[in-house]
Amino acid sequence: MRRITAYRALCGLLGIPLILLGVGLVLGFFRAMAPGGEPPGPLVPLGPNGLYYMAFLGTALVGWGGGLVGAMRQPETSRSVGTATAVALVLSAGYRMLAWFLGDYYFLGEILRVEAAILLLLALAFVWLRPPKPATAS
Amino acid sequence: MLRWLATLGILALLALDLGMRATPLGRRGSEARLRADVAGTIGTLGQPLPELDLRRLDGSPLRLAELAGRRVVLTFERSVDW
Repeated sequence: MRRITAYRALCGLLGIPLILLGVGLVLGFFRAMAPGGEPPGPLVPLGPNGLYYMAFLGTALVGWGGGLVGAMRQPETSRSVGTATAVALVLSAGYRMLAWFLGDYYFLGEILRVEAAILLLLALAFVWLRPPKPATAS
Repeated sequence: MLRWLATLGILALLALDLGMRATPLGRRGSEARLRADVAGTIGTLGQPLPELDLRRLDGSPLRLAELAGRRVVLTFERSVDW
């Protein structure tokens, strides 16, 4: 029972910020690209191509976050969301590690490495807190 | 069983993340490619630069030959506005 509660909390704590971030990215695209819109500032140094991918990422994050919120509401029937999220977190950590190893993002310092470690620990949490398979009626 | 395998894999990645070192500046792939793109610029310190066709900010062409006899500082930067 405690495990399910922790899994729900984990899904909610990750899913809701992902939705908010995704909505923010999509809104950022419209703010920058709408007629008369404001160009992005130094925090988002992207041109039209980068902004397009930013909006695409935003929509994907809304979908991912929505899945996690669904898993928060019905954890027993959403085991695969936990699995997929763990895989996505490991992939996210992997490319951060590669970026750090290659050294081309040296201006970010240790941020990439620390982020990768946090994402891997989150993936571990999803692996261990994922609810067990429901017993099938026979 | 799969859960343990996934755990081992994640812990191995975590150990790699905490243990590996960043590639030194001189050995980075993209930096090396950048230098290789300009033929003759590797190991030719003090030698004349090869002829380059450049663009000014207004789009008009600029050839190094036009700058002959003048002191010029050339800097190459990667644009962040991709």
